[in-house]
Amino acid sequence: MKDYIRICDVEKYYGNDSHVTKAVDRVSFTVDQGEFVGVMGASGSGKTTLLNLLSTMDSVTAGHIYYGGTDITELPEEKLADFRKDNLGFVFQDYNLLDTLTIEENIMLAMTLRGKGRNAVREECEKMLGLLGITDVRDQFPYQVSGGQKQRCACARALVNHPQLLLADEPTGALDSRASQTLLETFTEMNRTLFATIFMVTHDAFSASYCSRILFLKDGRIFHELVRKEKDRRRFLGQILDVLSLTGGEFSDAR
Amino acid sequence: MLGKLAFRNVKRSAKDYLVYFLTMTFVTALMFAFNTVIFSKDLQKLVNVVNLMQILIGMATVFVVAIIAWLINYMVRFMLQKRSREFGTYLLLGMRKKTISHLYMRENMALGIGAFLCGLALGILLQQILLSVLYSMLQEQYRLKVYLDGRCVVMTAACYAGCYILALLRCSRRFRKMNIRELMYAGQQNEEIRESHEERKKWLFPMSVLFLGVFGLWLFFGKEWNGGTVICYLVGLVLVIYLFYMGLSSFIVCYVRRKGNAVYRGENLFLLRQFSSKVRTMQFTMGTLTALFTIAFLGCTAAFMFNDYQNQILEGKFPFDVQIFSGEKDEDFARELELLEQQAAVDEAFTYRIYQNGTNQVNVWMYTHLQVFGERFRNADGTPKMENIEESSGGGNWYGKYDTYMSLSVYNHLREMLGYTPVSLKEGEYLLHIKERIYRDTGDFSKELSIQGKDGELHCAGYRTESFSLDGHNGADYVLVVPDSETDAMEVFYSELAADLEGEAPEDLGERLDGLAELSEEEMLDMAGHAEISHHSTGSGTDTMVVYYAKYLVRDNIIPEVKYMLSSIIFPLVYIGLVFLCVALTVLSVQQLSDSAKYKFRYGVLQKIGMKKRTVTGVVGKQLFMYFLCPALFAAVISGIISLYISVKFVDATGVRTSIFQYFGITCALFFGIYAVYFAATYIGFVRNVEES
Repeated sequence: MKDYIRICDVEKYYGNDSHVTKAVDRVSFTVDQGEFVGVMGASGSGKTTLLNLLSTMDSVTAGHIYYGGTDITELPEEKLADFRKDNLGFVFQDYNLLDTLTIEENIMLAMTLRGKGRNAVREECEKMLGLLGITDVRDQFPYQVSGGQKQRCACARALVNHPQLLLADEPTGALDSRASQTLLETFTEMNRTLFATIFMVTHDAFSASYCSRILFLKDGRIFHELVRKEKDRRRFLGQILDVLSLTGGEFSDAR
Repeated sequence: MLGKLAFRNVKRSAKDYLVYFLTMTFVTALMFAFNTVIFSKDLQKLVNVVNLMQILIGMATVFVVAIIAWLINYMVRFMLQKRSREFGTYLLLGMRKKTISHLYMRENMALGIGAFLCGLALGILLQQILLSVLYSMLQEQYRLKVYLDGRCVVMTAACYAGCYILALLRCSRRFRKMNIRELMYAGQQNEEIRESHEERKKWLFPMSVLFLGVFGLWLFFGKEWNGGTVICYLVGLVLVIYLFYMGLSSFIVCYVRRKGNAVYRGENLFLLRQFSSKVRTMQFTMGTLTALFTIAFLGCTAAFMFNDYQNQILEGKFPFDVQIFSGEKDEDFARELELLEQQAAVDEAFTYRIYQNGTNQVNVWMYTHLQVFGERFRNADGTPKMENIEESSGGGNWYGKYDTYMSLSVYNHLREMLGYTPVSLKEGEYLLHIKERIYRDTGDFSKELSIQGKDGELHCAGYRTESFSLDGHNGADYVLVVPDSETDAMEVFYSELAADLEGEAPEDLGERLDGLAELSEEEMLDMAGHAEISHHSTGSGTDTMVVYYAKYLVRDNIIPEVKYMLSSIIFPLVYIGLVFLCVALTVLSVQQLSDSAKYKFRYGVLQKIGMKKRTVTGVVGKQLFMYFLCPALFAAVISGIISLYISVKFVDATGVRTSIFQYFGITCALFFGIYAVYFAATYIGFVRNVEES
């Protein structure tokens, strides 16, 4: 579906009268269904703020965000929680797994909170564990498994309810290169097989090269956009690095 | 600079440790108020009996100090662990260990001194309440007066400081041993959840429950009571208190692993896991808290029992204003009457005799049938063990040498004095006036008796159970009332005088009467300085709680004295109960509040995966409630079993007309009242911490 998510003139200001920081400054773009969109930018460019606005965790100062026909900037807090529950999945840099629950239970909880029945929970959970290759560690606690496995668990938890949009904030930030690669391949796989729409914030060019489109953010504004189209990943990475070098980028993670 | 840093740290942690601070304040106040009772000179002048209350409060203070020392030690260690990262940073910045240790000590001292001073202020208020309650018990006027006795303040301060210094010394040893790495990671030590042998350990849970069942059955129905079994059960109980939590945690873990149905409902999975992991890491502390709660429950239950006894039984125990015993068969009580006339306005004074006919069949029946004696005076075939009975008769033991008889005219006169309706008896009949408590035990047993009159057997015309001074004066436990013609043919056993006074008896009447007693070997003074009943053929009945076996009974003098003695037990029990309860609740509360940072992250995650804010607040409530309720409920079950058992015995022994559930019920109400205050404070603080951005 085209224009699945529409971000229209969104602004987010912090501070008071004497000192205003424009974290996001009149940003507009759209995301199509099944797209894997990346947002890149230096620290302080407003990418995480943008993600927080999209994820309803923060409110806009001005502008609108439409998911299909729903304008989430107009929804009251109670409805926002429902919206979040029904439409969004999250993957964070620090995994955000519950340390008292096992890997499997972390995934299960996301489903039981939505009131899904015993059989549905079991089936879906089994499928996700298999898809993400963490069946072996299902009974382990987060502290017992590697960072990559933790992040895949977080990913499974985010996808198990088939959200409209998967939001990922620096998902590879705490992973080694091998684990990062596995996770990004998983994202691509999920994007292809489950038609998951993914919105990923990263400052790592390597991670970004897995996306189908990249928005470059600077001082709260989109200053460039790259579309992968049919290009292979290596060439796309080259293009990204070119953009970064043009901006005197601080990104030096090209591999 | 260090002082400033310490002050800022105290200010910052004040929110988390407010409950601790308030508890320390409250405990200091209690300590100060109760210590006043030990040192108050006015009180010592007022009561001339042995200073039982001072001794018992002193003993209670020992327990209280021990538990406070534990609390301070626990809190100091706990805060150290929570702030270890901060101390590690100080070390990294180049501070010396000694400096940090001093800094930490200064902070704790500031907190301690603050709580102590607030406690003293509150203590003065509590002192007034405590003293006015005590004075009203002694039927004395209390004028508000602040007792700031130096010794009292010093003793309170010494107890308090002793606890602190001990805890801090231990802590500085810890500091010396720690290195930067350990300090930096000490806060994370609890986060690893180690599960091993859960399948085996889970059996501890049903086994603990089973043990409690067996323990209850043994208490109520067990016959074999010897030192060995009692020790076995006590050791078992302590083990169960501690192992229960290990079992409970494993039981929940196994349930979650087995994916029981409840796991699939809403946030249950999260709650069960949270709870089991918290119980696992805190199992020893939880056990200790349960023990404290149990002691608090039992202490308060016992206090309420004595209080109830005081309110219900004491008035009935001494129905006459003055009652005097004499072993002389023709005593005219001239000296006593003269004294009474001098000291008070006598409304009526009535001299009468108690008779005996040389038999003791009612006494023997009592010895062989009352529950309190069990098998002691009974052979295996049900026949009485006469040698034991003879040994136990008279001399202030349960029953006298002979059964006690009273003539109908005397009986009716006494009834009239007490405001009861008179009774009538036909020739050939008798009546049993018996303690209500005994009658509940025996029922109608007249068919098993054969009371012989001068013209053959007498028939029982019925029972009367009003209070009638049956503790050695008008007989022991019972008196047989017979027509006057029957007593004419009997021998006088001993003489009695009952008097009604106008208004209250003077305070020293009892003392003056005791002064009349000639101190010979037979007429001894008991420990409270009262002349004992001299004639060794009488008994004092089977009451167990308060037996006032004195030659002279002056009700208005005795009741305050007995009340004071009972208060000597009630006050320390309440003291211990309250302190233990507050200490345990503080530990629960502070643990949860300081964990709220960790929980904040977890609740944040829950919100991110789609939980509404309101639901999260609900989950916080449920989690806190489970954690708070678990040790309290477990302690309530243990102490409930023991309390019910004690209540049954107490009701049997004293004859109070109270449901056996009442004492424990009132204790529960008090307990959960205080519990609710702590819970609410923790909940509000916790939600605030979690919601704080």
